[in-house]
Amino acid sequence: MKRQRLFPSTGGADSPTASVSSEARRISNAAIPAFALIPMLQHSGSAARCLVRPGDRVQEGMLIGKADGARSANVHSSVPGTVVRVERTTGADGTVSAAALVEFGGEFERTGKAPAVEDWEKLSRSDLLGRIRSAGVVGLGGGLQPTHLKLAREPGRVASRLIANGLDCEPSLQGDTFLMREKSAEIVTGMLICGKILGTARMVLAIGLAQEEELLPLFHRASEHVDRAFEVVPLPSRYPLGHEDLVRAAVLAKAGDADGDRGAENGSAECVVLNVSTLFAVYEAVVRGRPMIERTVTVSGSAVRRPSVLKVRIGTRVGDLFEECGGFLEQPGKVVLGGPMRGVAVSSLDFPVTKGVSGVLAYTRAEARPGPEMPCIRCGACVEACPWELVPTRLHKLIERGEIAQALAEGLSSCTECGCCAYACPSRIPLVESLRQGKRRGAPSHHG
Amino acid sequence: MADVHQDTRPASLVVSPAPHVTGSASSARLSWSVAFCLLPAAAWGVFLFGVPALGVLGVAVAASLAAELLAGLAARRVTIGDGSAIVTGLLVGMLMPPGVPLYVPAAASGFGIIVAKQSFGGLGRNWMNPALAGVVVALLSWSDGMSRWLPVRSAAPTVTAVPPLEALRNALTAGAPRGGALEMLRASGYPWSGMDSSVVGWVNTHVLSLFGWHLPGGCFDLLVGNISGTIGGTSVPLLLLGAALLLSRRVIRWQLPVTYLAIFCLAAQVFGGLPAGGGWFVGNMLFQVFSGGGLVLGAFFMATDPVTSPLTRTGQLAYGLCLGVLTFFLRTFGSLGDGVPLAILLGNCLSPLIDRFTRPAFPTQRKAAPG
Amino acid sequence: MTRRPVFRDGVLRDNPVAVMLVGLCPAAAVTSRVIDAAWMSVGLFFVLLLTRLCQAILHALRAPDLSEPPAPGAPPQTSVFPLRPRWLGSLLLSSCFTAAFELILLAFAPSESASLGIYVPLLAVNCLVLERFQRSGPEDEPESPVRVIARSLREAAGLGAGFAICLVAISLVREILGSGTITLFAAGSFGGTIEVGGLSSVPVRALTYGGGGLLCLGYLAGFARLLGRRKRRSGATEAGRS
Repeated sequence: MKRQRLFPSTGGADSPTASVSSEARRISNAAIPAFALIPMLQHSGSAARCLVRPGDRVQEGMLIGKADGARSANVHSSVPGTVVRVERTTGADGTVSAAALVEFGGEFERTGKAPAVEDWEKLSRSDLLGRIRSAGVVGLGGGLQPTHLKLAREPGRVASRLIANGLDCEPSLQGDTFLMREKSAEIVTGMLICGKILGTARMVLAIGLAQEEELLPLFHRASEHVDRAFEVVPLPSRYPLGHEDLVRAAVLAKAGDADGDRGAENGSAECVVLNVSTLFAVYEAVVRGRPMIERTVTVSGSAVRRPSVLKVRIGTRVGDLFEECGGFLEQPGKVVLGGPMRGVAVSSLDFPVTKGVSGVLAYTRAEARPGPEMPCIRCGACVEACPWELVPTRLHKLIERGEIAQALAEGLSSCTECGCCAYACPSRIPLVESLRQGKRRGAPSHHG
Repeated sequence: MADVHQDTRPASLVVSPAPHVTGSASSARLSWSVAFCLLPAAAWGVFLFGVPALGVLGVAVAASLAAELLAGLAARRVTIGDGSAIVTGLLVGMLMPPGVPLYVPAAASGFGIIVAKQSFGGLGRNWMNPALAGVVVALLSWSDGMSRWLPVRSAAPTVTAVPPLEALRNALTAGAPRGGALEMLRASGYPWSGMDSSVVGWVNTHVLSLFGWHLPGGCFDLLVGNISGTIGGTSVPLLLLGAALLLSRRVIRWQLPVTYLAIFCLAAQVFGGLPAGGGWFVGNMLFQVFSGGGLVLGAFFMATDPVTSPLTRTGQLAYGLCLGVLTFFLRTFGSLGDGVPLAILLGNCLSPLIDRFTRPAFPTQRKAAPG
Repeated sequence: MTRRPVFRDGVLRDNPVAVMLVGLCPAAAVTSRVIDAAWMSVGLFFVLLLTRLCQAILHALRAPDLSEPPAPGAPPQTSVFPLRPRWLGSLLLSSCFTAAFELILLAFAPSESASLGIYVPLLAVNCLVLERFQRSGPEDEPESPVRVIARSLREAAGLGAGFAICLVAISLVREILGSGTITLFAAGSFGGTIEVGGLSSVPVRALTYGGGGLLCLGYLAGFARLLGRRKRRSGATEAGRS
């Protein structure tokens, strides 16, 4: 296959080497949690309305939070058992929502779940969409947008392409790669389901160049019976190429589309990008009738004894995952939910795994603290690293001086907080934090 | 949730904004690696000119460190560790002639650190290269001391020491018969070393005669840097060695120095013959590059100073172009040194302007990507 | 209404060179020798003081203002000197006095006149610019002509003194460091030049160039800002206490 140098021509960060040990080649199942804390807000948009009260019996996969409003998603119980209490909790990212604490107990039953279907192709588009919606599937690539919103189209409008994003969204996260290795057929089916809903004829699967040799045969085999245009595109696995817009741009550029501009989204060449984990969840929801109650989580970091990729029930305590992986090598100095570049550092191990937690990372004390901040030496490393061709150091200085309007005029709002600039900065200037604050100050007044 | 989930709670976890990993480069390490890569050329200068050169280098570095410490104490922050002061001191020393009275490097370093750098707010805020500012002040103030060249140690003690470039300029002003650079030097009796005549002679008789070519005397001396000149600017190969190291470690990028040298060489080759009465395209760019002075030193170690050069790669190309043209003019028509220090200082002044014109444009607000 | 210390303001808060950054040409150009700076200061003092004096006298005569349209029915106003376009009068007056100073200099210190060169005629411009910073007196209460004149003179003297202090300070630094000498008036057996031991043989000649003047000026302005900031801070804490 021709290895075209695509994008970023410059930009991005040299990702740290994969940290999941090689003997752990497969996704292992994490233990069923004794207590599962299930927040009603695990997606972008408004929180779900909690349907259970303390003392209620719940089954695995039972609806406990109903989507509230147009941009919301259903929440299901990940374990059978009893609701201990319902309380307001603060998520790792600072959002506040109600959460149900379910004590595990009783049998795994099949009641309260949508039945599995023999032949999904007989279902209509709206039936498929309804199954996805009721299963509470959200985008697992990081956006956490309810998937049924992304797939819904006005009548008559079709998407030109469906792109399955198989690039791990951050360095040291390998959940997507592992999933593709084990569930290639299911992912292809998920693509076909979404393709049918979108009415698109062309499907593209983007995978990392590093995994090309391993994954390409798998997907060729899985897609043998596919009657539509199906293409596997290897892309350089350089962070942040896993970002939705960049994958879209790279695929379009490779396909030679004239409008392969980054982030371009006009009607004629509308491409829908879905993460492979999301597609697997779509498959589970539609074909097996399973709502989104578990996800793959990468447990990694320098303080973890046995880094691995786990299949984890939503609501499992983060600390339990580390124990699952052999505990800590040494007292961790920092625990991060998500990836190393965009994740959220948390102050305790008591946070639950939610739909958005793609990884839990624990770093040693030595790694936890960034070096002292030094003055900017204008080396231009951030300029080179920025995949959006911004000048982060200048934006940072503008924001420091309070010139938000000028910073916005110079593209502040296209910053995706990918972290490449701060990663590259030799002076350890917290550029991302500064730009984030600048965006908040520059945002319309509903943020205050 | 607290009573259920509370067994193994680590003592304290650091909570800081993403990203949680950083690259390995650090500003201090960049400075130290520049200092390290300057060492071969500086050592060559000491080898060539002996103890006086070592004294000049030592005084320059010591004065620079002392000034940094003093300014740091005044501002209640110690910045010696960032390594930039030692680079400044080394560069000042390497740009001095070996026979310079010792107060000159001391004053130049002090001026560079205190006036050109710390007065503007320290590292990162200086709008001109501190070392070059110090050297230019020294050139303006103590032109006599700044032209006390020493002969290379291997030369006979009677030999008067003048760098080739200055000897050429002297010959031109003295109205010597016009010609190519090396021919004019030979005509004016420039003292090349004995080793040069034997090596060039051997190459001429044994290799080049086969093709009918002939190398003028002085080529070997110029190539290895066995010539009189500034302490750090004589040996082009050793400077290139340090530069290659910096390039390979990605401390500096090739765009700027390569444009700078290319434009300068082009100008020197095309127009270089005109002042000497020759025609177009008869300049000797290799002579201009190798004839001592700080062209290579300036291009790889001073023009690339990140603080005073443009941010973007496009800007650096434009900057290199400006520097090449400026250096050619200042060297050909100026009277201050070999033109490199002043050219780079002028370039420093242009750098914000270049930054302004090469800033990436944002004609449309791109769609904000979902978080 | 408290009386503003107009003289002190001219020296400190509104110092023409260090704070308002006016008259930078002479400050950079004629400060390489102390004697030049001194003569320049005298010139400015002279022109500024006399210009202000004449202006204040004319103002005290309460010449009617022509720039405002006369009220309908009012008798036509007559005036010898319209004051509203004040700069016109200032220009006229300051050029007159500048020319006078130039002639005086030519008569009594011809060598100095030669070394100051174009900067003597340029005094008119400097004075004109300083005119723009003239502070008006209290608007609401009419002042007696004597007080107007006195305040004008104090203000002019303050500005002149501020200018002189800066110029002489810059020239002292530049001449001592840049040439290793201090050039003053020749008087009797004293030749007019003091040599500073050690420096006169190896001066920092770069300071005698224009750039050196700007450099000293920059430090002076920076120093003035630092002082101002410190003063404001202490003032703020005092205000907080009371």
